[in-house]
Amino acid sequence: MHTKLSSLLAAIGLAAAATMPAIAHHAFGGEFDPNMPVLLKGKITTIEWVNPHAWIHLEIVKPEGKEACQYTPNAKCEEWMVEGGTPNTLLRRGITKESLAKGTEIVVDGYQTRDHSLTRANGRNVTFPDGRKLFLGSSGTGAPTDGADPTEAGRGRGRGRGGL
Amino acid sequence: MPDGKPDLQGTYDLATLTPVERPNGLPAVLTDEQAVKLEKQAVAAQERGSLPIDGNRSAPPKGGDGSLGPAGNVGGYNSFWIDRGSQYSVVDGQKRSSIVIDPPDGRVPSLTADARQRQASRAALARLQSDATESRDPGLEGAGAYDDPERRPLGERCLLGFGSTSGPPILPNYFYNNLHQIVQTSDTVMILTEMVHDARIIRLNAQHAPPTVRKWLGDSIGHWEGDTLVVETTNFTDKTRFRGATENLTVTERFTRTDAKTLKYRFTIDDPKTWEKPWTGEYTWPITQDHLYEYACHEGNYAMGNILRGARLRESEDTKTKSKQQ
Repeated sequence: MHTKLSSLLAAIGLAAAATMPAIAHHAFGGEFDPNMPVLLKGKITTIEWVNPHAWIHLEIVKPEGKEACQYTPNAKCEEWMVEGGTPNTLLRRGITKESLAKGTEIVVDGYQTRDHSLTRANGRNVTFPDGRKLFLGSSGTGAPTDGADPTEAGRGRGRGRGGL
Repeated sequence: MPDGKPDLQGTYDLATLTPVERPNGLPAVLTDEQAVKLEKQAVAAQERGSLPIDGNRSAPPKGGDGSLGPAGNVGGYNSFWIDRGSQYSVVDGQKRSSIVIDPPDGRVPSLTADARQRQASRAALARLQSDATESRDPGLEGAGAYDDPERRPLGERCLLGFGSTSGPPILPNYFYNNLHQIVQTSDTVMILTEMVHDARIIRLNAQHAPPTVRKWLGDSIGHWEGDTLVVETTNFTDKTRFRGATENLTVTERFTRTDAKTLKYRFTIDDPKTWEKPWTGEYTWPITQDHLYEYACHEGNYAMGNILRGARLRESEDTKTKSKQQ
């Protein structure tokens, strides 16, 4: 009985672990196209810090572009929007949209929307160029509340208490 | 409180590892050893999700990344957005393995034949139950599921939070934003649910609204039995449908302040057309000093447009393929 229970506990743990990197609350499969994987490297232009899902905007350089960077089809750059989760969870950890400065370089892998005329994708993984996850590793921007340093005083749940 | 009643007010974080139904093989009450082991696994899983990955990675595989259920083969989003709880609920000093306590096996009773028939008859078109998680959507539902916004789940439409967060019964969603605030006066108690900005007004020592008045969250009236606030909710719309219930669902909730930091929440579900007998669950709500934030769900709900546009394009492609074949 003890062995059976132990393996059950292990199985429950594994199930939790298996679902960790793959989470979403609405029809992600209906929104994004599994046949259109994307890897986006660019600089943050703005963050829509809104519910139910935050959207990170970034500017991608297109070397083949001919026109000035005005987001026209032939331009030297393109703006993409990347879907994340609810901002409330991060707010409670003291992270705001100001925590990531405009111009911060990020790397995103995900899938483009099923409507390919939109430059939108899910943020399957959103990291800094060295692979650290956003909101967990320092952006190097000197932002006071980027939650960068695990030893930093007040880091963790409830850091934003009282100050808002 | 000035009226001599217990003070239920505060902000509570309902996130917990205790599931609604007991997993097969687990005892009703976990030993300290079992609970510690499972709680450590949950923390470890969260930490694994926080680890850096390769900054020079390539795009994910064409055809999908194989992620199941929630992530619809495209991978969802990073776990740093998530706050799903890391501890089992403690009731009367016991670490509970399920919220359901009656039936004693910790499982919601089977649906009646009538309820099964109702579910089957609308399964192809509508998934509008208040507790429906959007997370089981593989992206390719049956015909009609994407025809218009009203066919989409309530959570996706920003009408109610998924997982019965607003209730009643109020349940954790095992995902994020499980905060609730209670405000109390001598004749009214209000429960504010962070996701999706629902405020339920409970009138004390009052009568139910006439049967013609139907509400998304039902009509709640309450009274004190000793130190426990007892709330009865009826008059649901036929749109809420908690776990497939009819609009004749009655939910009886019992709120008891057990100490300065804890509220005990117990609920009984009764709908004879859906379950053969009533069933009961309970768990505790720990008070939190965290802030509850506004949840303006429609503001950023680009997903709805993206999902419907995706469906229109798929239909258009299907039509082209068929006409080529003819």
